[in-house]
Amino acid sequence: MTQPERVNSQAGGAATDGSTIHDLGYRRYAGPRVGTSGAWSALYRQSVRAMFGLGRPAKAKAVPVLVIVVTMLPALGTLVAASASNGQVPIRYGQIIGAQLLLFVLFVAAQVPEVLSRDQQHQLLPLLFTRDVTRVSYATARFAAIASAIFCVASAPLILLYVGEIGIAKDPSAAFVTMGNRIWPVLAQSILTALAMSGIGAALAAWTPRRAYATAAIFGTFLLLAAIAAGLDDLAGVSRRTAELLDPIRAMQTMAMILFGETNRGMELNPPPPIGVYVALTLGLGVAGLSLLTWRMRRIRA
Amino acid sequence: MSAALVIETESLTRRYGAVLALDSLTVRIESGITGLVGANGAGKSTLLKILLGLVEPTSGTARVMDHTIDVDRQAISRLVGYMPEHDCLPPDMTATEFVTWMARCSGFPPSAARERAAEVLRHVGLFEERYRPMGGYSTGMAQRVKLAQALVHDPTLLILDEPTNGLDPAGRDEMLALIERTGREFGVSVIVSSHLLGELERICDGVVLIDNGRLIRAERLGVLTGATSTLIVEVDGDASAFAEALVARGVSATVDRQMVLVTVPDATDTTHERAAFDAVRDVAVQRHASLLRMERRRGHLEDLFDVAS
Repeated sequence: MTQPERVNSQAGGAATDGSTIHDLGYRRYAGPRVGTSGAWSALYRQSVRAMFGLGRPAKAKAVPVLVIVVTMLPALGTLVAASASNGQVPIRYGQIIGAQLLLFVLFVAAQVPEVLSRDQQHQLLPLLFTRDVTRVSYATARFAAIASAIFCVASAPLILLYVGEIGIAKDPSAAFVTMGNRIWPVLAQSILTALAMSGIGAALAAWTPRRAYATAAIFGTFLLLAAIAAGLDDLAGVSRRTAELLDPIRAMQTMAMILFGETNRGMELNPPPPIGVYVALTLGLGVAGLSLLTWRMRRIRA
Repeated sequence: MSAALVIETESLTRRYGAVLALDSLTVRIESGITGLVGANGAGKSTLLKILLGLVEPTSGTARVMDHTIDVDRQAISRLVGYMPEHDCLPPDMTATEFVTWMARCSGFPPSAARERAAEVLRHVGLFEERYRPMGGYSTGMAQRVKLAQALVHDPTLLILDEPTNGLDPAGRDEMLALIERTGREFGVSVIVSSHLLGELERICDGVVLIDNGRLIRAERLGVLTGATSTLIVEVDGDASAFAEALVARGVSATVDRQMVLVTVPDATDTTHERAAFDAVRDVAVQRHASLLRMERRRGHLEDLFDVAS
């Protein structure tokens, strides 16, 4: 591995008489460099792994595993019930996923700081910004990874329901054809949830170098918005549907119901605004979060 | 070795609010190992961060290896390796993971990154420890990993901000030897900042002294620490009588404690030098005094400060 001859010539041939060369393996590198795109994907991959605690001790995997398992259980239970009743019990996608949103918030609050705050806490940014990672590519790679991870977690119960519903049908191939259009709401709900949640999580974590504080800030923000929305609704007399738009969790619950064509008593009494409003809201949260993260990274003193 | 310029700055100024961290600094740094010396807060880190593109100058420009800092960021990032002054090691990562990841962030393909990380960690002298989480590392080990991550993408210029900070004397010596070896054997130019003048003297080809954001001096070290025209003679016995005997022979000599300082009129002329040596020998024989030491006095880096202050 080591190349004493080459080292000798570099050192000016001073050691050609066979004396010890303290070369412990350092060589110049002449191989390929994949540049900015390689650095981007390295950062992306590392972030996705960090979101799930992969390659870390078991402790780091606790929250991701907990959230994934707990959010899949209701879906599994529904499938079992539907299967036992021969399809008599309807599978209510919107309602099931709506009930899991708070757990997704737990995932975001626990894992997004793992990806964003730690780099500031351990002062890693100067090392990254003096490599092929620019401030903007840092922000986009991290955000893309956060959104991908949340998408995986948020879509898992829906995909389980979807695949399960086809599987328990009497004629799976026919069910696959009739269910074909169902996949779009599944994807739309997961993507929009991922964007909105990563937007809020990333914007807050980017400003909070301490992991624990960032977790508290993210969780607190979701709870605070819920409280404000409830307060406006009850006390200020703002219409229930308008106030709800302030609370991302309730807004996403209603969005899921509309997307899957489901309804409940509240929605019948008090019809929600068109789906476009919810799509705009969730997309807006995602874009705003990415913009804030990029803005912060461009200005942070590394 | 060619004395190519690695750094050129042109009236570089950086202001933090009311504080002027760099005050129109114009300096040229040649290849080789260069020490950047100044007290804490003199502007060393600010200068290095501007060169690295981490801090924008308020005014002025700089070039790093012929690339203008705010234009060719990517080219500079390939050529330059940076070891920061502060801690920068995630405690739950192992050194291997960390250095490999840093190589990937410099655009190395995965397998090349792993190979390179193993090589540089071996180069800095980290063996079995590199598979342990870095949270348990001693300061000396942490500094080695910081040096390894600066080297992993095979830079042509290393910028080391206070690499001996927090190390004990033995660790300091090892770190300096490692820096010197990296610079000399692999043709990597090094800029190393420190507030300790003495330690740089041993490894540097040149030194840049700044204070309050202004350039005090920038010199090749040979000029400063080469042989001076003073010959130090230490004798067993009466030093002042020895000096008087020398003066009687027409050699200018003074006494400093137990040492006789003989001034050689013109260091470049060997006849003068020989005459001075002969006079010392003759006086020693004549007075039956034993010579304990006789050597040319070398300049010290500290002399820079005397000139500066």
